[in-house]
Order: sequence, then structure tokens, then C-alpha cells
Amino acid sequence: MGMKYRRYLAGERIYGCSKCKTHLATIHSMISRAFNGQHGRAYLFEGVVNVVEGEPNDRQMTTGNHTVRDIYCVKCATTLGWKYDRAYESSQRYKEGKYILERNLLVDVQ
Amino acid sequence: MHVLHPDQASASSVSIDSVSEAGPSSLILDKAGPFNGFTNGNGFIVSKTNSSTNGSSPMRNGNLKHISSIARVSLPGTTLYDDPYVDREEFVRLVMQSLRDVGYIESAATLEAESGYSLEATEVTEFRQYVLNADWANAESLLSQLAVVDEEALWEARFLIGRQKYLELLEARETTVALQVLRNELAPLSANPEQLHALSSLIMCSDPEDLRRRASWDGASGTSRQALLSDLQDFIPSTTMIPSRRFATLLTQSRHYQRQRCLYHNTPMNAASFSLFSDHHCDREGFPRVTTTILDVHTDEVWNVAWSHDGLRLASASKDKTAIIWRIGSDAEPSSRECMVEFTLREHSFPVGAVAWSLDDSILATSAENLISLWDTKTGKCIHTVDSHSETVSALVWLPDGSGFMSASLDRKISSWDMAGKLRDDWTGVPIRVTDMAVAPDMKRLVTIGVGYVATPTTADGVAESTPPPANNENGTAMSGTRPSDNRMIVYDLKTKTVELSLPTDGELTSVKISANSQFALINHAPDEVHLWDLTEGRLARKFTGQRQGHHVIRSCFGGIDCNLVLSGSEGEYSSQRITCLGPLYLYYCLDRNVYVWQLDTGVLLEVLPGHGMGSVNSVAWNPRNGGMFVSCSDDFTIRIWERLPCDTGGALSSVRDNGMNGKGKGKVRP
Repeated sequence: MGMKYRRYLAGERIYGCSKCKTHLATIHSMISRAFNGQHGRAYLFEGVVNVVEGEPNDRQMTTGNHTVRDIYCVKCATTLGWKYDRAYESSQRYKEGKYILERNLLVDVQ
Repeated sequence: MHVLHPDQASASSVSIDSVSEAGPSSLILDKAGPFNGFTNGNGFIVSKTNSSTNGSSPMRNGNLKHISSIARVSLPGTTLYDDPYVDREEFVRLVMQSLRDVGYIESAATLEAESGYSLEATEVTEFRQYVLNADWANAESLLSQLAVVDEEALWEARFLIGRQKYLELLEARETTVALQVLRNELAPLSANPEQLHALSSLIMCSDPEDLRRRASWDGASGTSRQALLSDLQDFIPSTTMIPSRRFATLLTQSRHYQRQRCLYHNTPMNAASFSLFSDHHCDREGFPRVTTTILDVHTDEVWNVAWSHDGLRLASASKDKTAIIWRIGSDAEPSSRECMVEFTLREHSFPVGAVAWSLDDSILATSAENLISLWDTKTGKCIHTVDSHSETVSALVWLPDGSGFMSASLDRKISSWDMAGKLRDDWTGVPIRVTDMAVAPDMKRLVTIGVGYVATPTTADGVAESTPPPANNENGTAMSGTRPSDNRMIVYDLKTKTVELSLPTDGELTSVKISANSQFALINHAPDEVHLWDLTEGRLARKFTGQRQGHHVIRSCFGGIDCNLVLSGSEGEYSSQRITCLGPLYLYYCLDRNVYVWQLDTGVLLEVLPGHGMGSVNSVAWNPRNGGMFVSCSDDFTIRIWERLPCDTGGALSSVRDNGMNGKGKGKVRP
């Protein structure tokens, strides 16, 4: 879809891809630290940058069934977490359109 | 020979008649000559011979007789024709001036006698001669007679003459006399001490060459006296002394005007294409608006293209992690021209973003992410790779003086390199992440564009509705609704590295090019605008609109026979729509995938050229040697060569040329 430079974030704490340091999210857009991913602790973010979204698929999670897409680093293609497209449980609807990044795959960058 | 004799006779009879009757034999014979020449090749020579024999001494007498005998024609009114704008006297005097300039002295005299107008007073002629012959005393004394009424103006004019006199004395190494002129003549006339100081400092010049350089003056034997005359013109009314070659000046203006009005201008403005007898006009059919060749070898989106300086090779940069050097044959006829892949530069670990040819086309610089590579364009081998930037290198620019190149990156650093790729200098303190950079051909300015910071991502609301197809989604749209970023254009003085201009802009800036005359910078500005900045005046001169640009890097360029066009690609945005009655189906359509061409002077959109497939047209480049050819590159993996409609197809270009037939590695064509 054309050439695009990666986006750069500003703020006191910026999370980047642990492999290639690409900017992903700031602490200001973090909603919760109380999530779990495949590699342990994970964070829920309002928005992230520089990721590619995969195909949607349904996944059974501890909080019910969700339609999610895996997200990959735009530069090094590492799988970083996922995005919630849809939550089947109405109590989980707040996650829709939000992003999970796995803590172990993140690094602080400037 | 039968035909010749009567002609000969008629030619001489004409000349004899005219001498006895109308005087200036040369005039009539010159007319008779070409006429005879057309009907009979020998007749011309005969009449010429006649004219030259006549022209020695008898003609002189004949003319004098003629002028004294010629009747003055008295005409009603004072204007040339019925319209009130052209004063007859002014017009006739301009004609006289032109005639004299080219050497038709007798004709000018005849016209003077017949019209009763004189070109100029004898004092003006004398004054001009005095200045050109460096007779400064006489020139000065005549000044006041030339209707220089204002006392102050007279002083200024005398100062200009004194300055020339002073400089010529210095040039002739007559320092003592020069000093006297400075003290006794220039000092009392000048109200500006700095001006005098500058003049006196010239005494220190080591030799005449040094003097001419420091005074920006080309010496007594150069054009300086002519220049002085035209400077003095400001103090003498133009009715008294007509500015030199005034008619030619008016014709030049007319030519400029016609050039500006010529929408599809694509031929050089010389005597052949600019006839005084008809208005200049270029045909739309001659304009490059047809794809003649499609280069289809890249296996992913093509992001950038650049012509070599000789216009025979093209470099393309692709998302497929290669750059390709194409050889584009010089054959004017597209169907027989050879276009082939010369080298595929494969050793890139990432998609290639920038390509730039060295001045002699021997080295191609490419960038992929934070790496810069230099390639030998004769062998296709990588000479050198440097890894000094910490983020994507967005721009590579070879310096016009041949000393090396510069790189700019999103890491907020600009570096300068020598020809071998050795670091010369890092510019620190660049306040933006540079998205593109250009150096003016005159080496005065460096223009950078980029972004100061990007705000924190916040909401992802509305993403679902506007998301592009899933496979291509890069989540850029999630950033909509964030605080505005600090997009900025910064113009540096290249030598001193000082900031000349730093301006925030509303939208993202993705590309900058500088015009060949170093005056304009062309900047792609999202959303949907291309801006033309006048660098000398530091202001926005024009905006070009029509094309699409949202989130991607779209690059525009200058084009046309004399930099009279602006071209840009356009962003092929996908739009999605849910057709509910058919279930969860998405309909994707491309909003734009055209090449846009505008007229630079007026901003008029001339052409919207379709042809490229799905996605964006990322970059365009005008061939620097062939004024009728440009290329565009697209997300559809191809590069298109655009030219005028080939003559032999008779208006219907059913299919573009198939390069794929010629063997492996050649460009391929889709019907």
C-alpha cells in the first residue's frame, strides 16, 4: 500500500520492539497491566503504532470467546501480541479495538 | 540558360529603375534578389553582383541625393493604427534603433527622412560614444544636458561614471590617479561612507583579476561600460535615450507571455519554434501522456525512481529489497528502443527507499532502513555499505560540486560523506526527524522536511470502519484522532549551516525537490496538496491540488522542457463498504492511481493520466536529457515510461510494447 515511514512517539516512557527497537506505544495509552499472554505478563493499550495486523480468528480465552488478530512488528515481523476485534461476552466489550503487547517482547526506547 | 537571360535583364532593369527613381539601390536590390533567387537560382547571384558594384561609391551618392530628395510623409494623428496605445513616433524610433543595430544604416536614414522623427538627439549619440570610449570628462559635462533634471539624480549618475573611471584606473595600475579620483571626485558625491570604504579597499587588490572579482566588475575590455550605460539609463528619460535593444526587449516579453500561455509547452523556445508571424503554441498531441513501455520486473511495490544524469539509465527502488539499474536506449522510436535490466542490486536486507546517482553517474547510492550502500554502476557491485544512522535513511543527495553526498535520516541526523563513502561531517541538533532533503543546484541552500515529534497514540475509535484490507493493514489509521504533530520545513544555509527558515506545516511532508534555477522547492504535503515554495522570497508561491495523499510517501517532481511542469503520483486509497444484503462482504475500490501533471506558472491541472494498477503511484521522474519523457512507479510493481503518442500508430495506441519477448531480464509489458 505504498511507502510509509515508521511512526515515532514522544513521552516519558516509550515501549519498543525488543528485537528492533521500533516504537510501539507509550505509557499514556496503557489501560491495564493485568493481562496474560503466551510469554507471561501482557499490557492492554488504547492504541499502538508500527504494527501489521493478521487475519481475524476466534479464540477461547479465560474471559470468554473473542475475535482477535495477531499483531506483528512492521520492521522485523516479530509477533508482539494481538488486537481485539470483538468480545462475545458483553462484560468484555471494553477490549474491542484495543491492543495487547507482551511485556517480555517490549523494551524501553527513546 | 534560356530562363536566366530574361531574369538577368529584369533584375538589372529593376535596379536601374530604382536607382534613378527611388534612391537606395541596395534596398530595392535586396528585395529583388531573393525574388529572383526563388524563380531562378542564378538570378540571385546576378542581382547580388549588381548590388555590390552599385554599393561602393555610386550608391553613397545616390543615397545622399535620395535622402535629401525624399518627401516627408505627413500622417494624421499621433498613433500607429487606430488603437490609442501605440505612439507612432515611439514605434518608428524603435524601428530605426533596430535597423541601426543590425547595420541597415541607410534604411534607418531613409525612415528618419520619410517620417520626420529622429532616433535621438546628437548629444545622446555623443554621450554614448563618450562612455564607450571612456571619455569621462565629456560624458560628465553632457549629463546635465540630457534632461537629468533632479539634482540628486545628477549626483548619483556622476558617481556611477566616477566609479567606472576609478575602477578602470585601478585596473590599469594607475593607483595614484585612481586615489585622486576617489578623494576629489567620488568622495564629495557619495552620501554613503560604506560605499566609499568598499571602493577604497579595492586599492589593496593584488592584481586586475582580483580587482574584477572583488568588485564583481568585468573590466574596461568587458561589458562594464555597456553596463554603466544601462545603469545611467535610470537617470535619463527613456524618450531622450531609448534603452538599448528596446524592440528586442519587447519581443522577449511577448515570447515569455506566449510561453506562459502555452499549456502543453514542450518544445525549446528558439527562432524555429517562436515565429514573429504567429503565436507560439504547442500541440497536446506532442505532450508525453501515453505509456510507451512498462518495466515489469520488480516483485513488489516500486517506491522510488531516479534518472541518471545522462538520461540513459534509470534506478528504481522497491519494497522487494532490490534496486534495479535499467538501461533505457536512446532510440527516439519507442518500438525499437531497447529497455533492459542492467543490474539488479540484491544485497539489501530491507526494502529500498532512496536511490541517487553521483554527478558522473559512476556510483549509485541506495538506502534500505538505516543502511547506505554505494554501488559501482559499471559492474553492479556493492562498493561500500555504511551503518551510521540509527533509524531509516530517508534521503540521499549528491552535492552539485562533486565533493560527495549527504544523507538524512529519521534519527534526526544529517551526515555528509566524501566520494568514497567516508564520513566528513555530522550535522547535530537537527530538530526534526528528516523525511526528505534536497540541495539547491547553486549550493546555497539545503531544504529539509520532517516531523518534530509524534503525539501519544490514544484512541482506536473508528478504525473498524476505515480500515484498509486486512492483509495490508499497517494500523496507521489507529493514529487518527491524535494530537497534531509538529511537521516542519527547515531551510539551511548550506555553508554556514544556519537556519534560514523554519516553518511549521499543517500536514505531513513526504518529499522535497528543488528546481534547476534553485528558486523553488516542491514539497508534497498531506493531505492532498503539493506546495511550491519560493526559496529566494521565503514564501509559499503556489499549491497544486487534485491528487490524493494521505498516509503514504508520495513524491512529486519538476518536469517539462524548461522546468515548466509539476508532476506527482497519487495515493491509491482503498475504501471499504459493507454490503449488508450480501452478508459480510467487503467491497474494496481504489480511489486514485493516476499521474497528475500541472503547469508550474499557473497551477492549472493539465493531465490526469490513468494506467497504473491497484495502489499508489509513489514517485515520478522527468528524464533530464529527453524533454519528452518521464517515468512513474507504482504499488502495482511496475514502472511506466510516458511519452508523446507515437506518430505511426495514427492516434490509437492499442497496446504498449512488449519487452518481455526480448529475453530474460528484460522489462515485460501487460496489455
